[in-house]
Amino acid sequence: MTQQAVGRAGSNGHRRTPSRLERMRKELPMTAMSATGSLAMRLREMTGRDVIDLESLQEIVSFGYRAAEVRSAHSRGNYDVDDFGFDREFTNALVPLFRLLYKKYWRVETSGLEHVPSSGAALLVSNHSGVLPFDGAMIEVAVLDAVDRYTRALIASWFGGLPMLSWFLRRTGQTLGHPDDSVRLLRKGELVLVFPEGVRGTGKPFSERYRLRRFGRGGFVEVALRAGAPIIPISVVGSEEIYPMIGDLQLVARLFGMPYFPVTPTWPWLGPLGLIPLPSKWRIRFHEPIRTDEYDAGAAADPSVVMRISDTVRDRIQYGLVEELMERRSVFRG
Amino acid sequence: MPGLVGEPRRILITGVSRFWGSHLARRLEEDPSVEAIVAVDTRAPLVELKRTDYVRADIRHSLIGKLLHAMDIDTVVHAGLIVDPRRASARVVHETNVIGTMNLIAACSAADSPVRKLVVKSSTAIYGSEPDDPSFWAEDMARKAPPRDTFTRDLDEVEAYVRDFRLRRPNAVVTLLRFANVLGPTHDTPFVRLFDLPVVPTIAGFDPRLQFLDEEDAVRVLERVVLEDHSGTFNVAGPGIVLLSQAVQTMGKVNLPVIPFIGSSLAMLALERIAPVGFSPHLLRLLQYGRVVDTGALCARLGDVVQHSSAETVQAHARNRRVRDIVRAEPAYQYEAELEEFLRARRPAGNGHAPAAMPAPTRPVRRRRKPRRAPAQS
Repeated sequence: MTQQAVGRAGSNGHRRTPSRLERMRKELPMTAMSATGSLAMRLREMTGRDVIDLESLQEIVSFGYRAAEVRSAHSRGNYDVDDFGFDREFTNALVPLFRLLYKKYWRVETSGLEHVPSSGAALLVSNHSGVLPFDGAMIEVAVLDAVDRYTRALIASWFGGLPMLSWFLRRTGQTLGHPDDSVRLLRKGELVLVFPEGVRGTGKPFSERYRLRRFGRGGFVEVALRAGAPIIPISVVGSEEIYPMIGDLQLVARLFGMPYFPVTPTWPWLGPLGLIPLPSKWRIRFHEPIRTDEYDAGAAADPSVVMRISDTVRDRIQYGLVEELMERRSVFRG
Repeated sequence: MPGLVGEPRRILITGVSRFWGSHLARRLEEDPSVEAIVAVDTRAPLVELKRTDYVRADIRHSLIGKLLHAMDIDTVVHAGLIVDPRRASARVVHETNVIGTMNLIAACSAADSPVRKLVVKSSTAIYGSEPDDPSFWAEDMARKAPPRDTFTRDLDEVEAYVRDFRLRRPNAVVTLLRFANVLGPTHDTPFVRLFDLPVVPTIAGFDPRLQFLDEEDAVRVLERVVLEDHSGTFNVAGPGIVLLSQAVQTMGKVNLPVIPFIGSSLAMLALERIAPVGFSPHLLRLLQYGRVVDTGALCARLGDVVQHSSAETVQAHARNRRVRDIVRAEPAYQYEAELEEFLRARRPAGNGHAPAAMPAPTRPVRRRRKPRRAPAQS
């Protein structure tokens, strides 16, 4: 008994110094938050408008919290990833950052979210632009906030060979655009996002913005037909202006094995600063689903059916783009 | 397809000096429907075998056909493929894998051959490992890239011989099993050695999806396809996937992404000097791009014969490794081998078939036989 008491006292004495540090570290976010809160109030009184946005602050703090949580849970390898490498907790930790971009930076206006099913498979098909695939991330945030579902985007096989991005994209639910993989995801009842333009879309010059490129050979339609999943066309406006691509250094691109090497007003002149996207105002419109379960089993192998559906989807996205552009008065203010 | 359970079988197994052949032979010994087991290898069996006849022979030579005839073998299990490059020199690995397989299959496909079933152990390494690979490899898919290293090229050849055999002997049951990387307490593989390092070097910027197979499950699958008839090609791996970083964390090791992603094989040469893991080029590519196979065909045919998922396999391996220095299984076997030999020497001749085997005695065994005999006689 004495030994126990001594042991307890000993452990207490041993732990005293770190525990104070620990308490301080735990309370730090709260202290910081209340301090920033009062600072925000003070600034508002002084200037008469919101200088510090509490909503963004909340997102940033929640990101910090979740990142710390995920890091401690992951350090022991004690987490689940699905067969494609999707790590839900890791993704959830990052969502606040992207939500911040969605709400505050690009101020995305989304319409037609009622067309996204709350359960069951669907193939989301969107135009692709903006050098870096931020449009995919924004569609994923929109869908996550509307129906609480994760979207699995299909990425170019080129990403699989890139350091960092190769695992980051897989961790957040993306997978390589292999037809069998897409069918497998759809049969599991997932939402799959595909950009039929591929790198032809992201790497097109600024002068050709909002003009859809060729939709491949209609592979995405075959996938939807094989899985019997509806196709939901999406038009994204605003992503073309985040990195206005005024040039393409093919020689450099070939040197690094890249599909294109963009030149924008800021990249590569300003170095890493050139990677900051411009704050254009975005609009995302989800169109009415196109059903594919009415076709018979052989339709996926019939090029005429496939190309007809592919053209329908393409037209709908292009009209959506034109309509949204007519509504838009200014690139940055919307 | 109904299995021929109950029908007496006469089985030849290659590669008993290593994990696969020896553990399979041991399991088959327990099955009464197996009439005879003949084990062929150039070195002694890895584990103690009770009623298996061990023949010290090299499958690279053509005497194997005679053996098939003499022993009236109906089932050949080719488990002798060397996957681990540290087992032997590059030349021996190539010759055993390619020439050995060619010879064995040539003997099996002879017109008067008694063999009616062939089971070949292959590896999922045949799918290669490229950045633009599909997320799941099914058995009927083939990699697009040409073989990048000798091992993959050898595997291509081995499977080509198996395909030839299928064409030449359409009535025979041919089972080709492609195994994922195996982890377990007794099997020594490159991944086991990698995870034994206190600090695990990985490729900077890459965290591949991997699959592992528990060694018990591996042998169980092999045993099932030997005892039952399942013609076809099957991927064998633990369900689910494990990320490399996750596996390293589960093992309680430090993940050190130090290998550059360009020129990784050069860096590996340097690393091999510090920590000899035996990572060949095809394993290095696996560390960079990973590989996941679809095991649906196996599950459809054999049910849940693979009981441990990839993640569970790594967790079990981590638990085993923590007590590795306390529980060591190796010395126990040496003793039983002596006893076994002693009992065989004392047994009256003429039970069952004559042992075609030489028991491959080693010198310490003989030296210690005498003191052991004394208490047995008293």
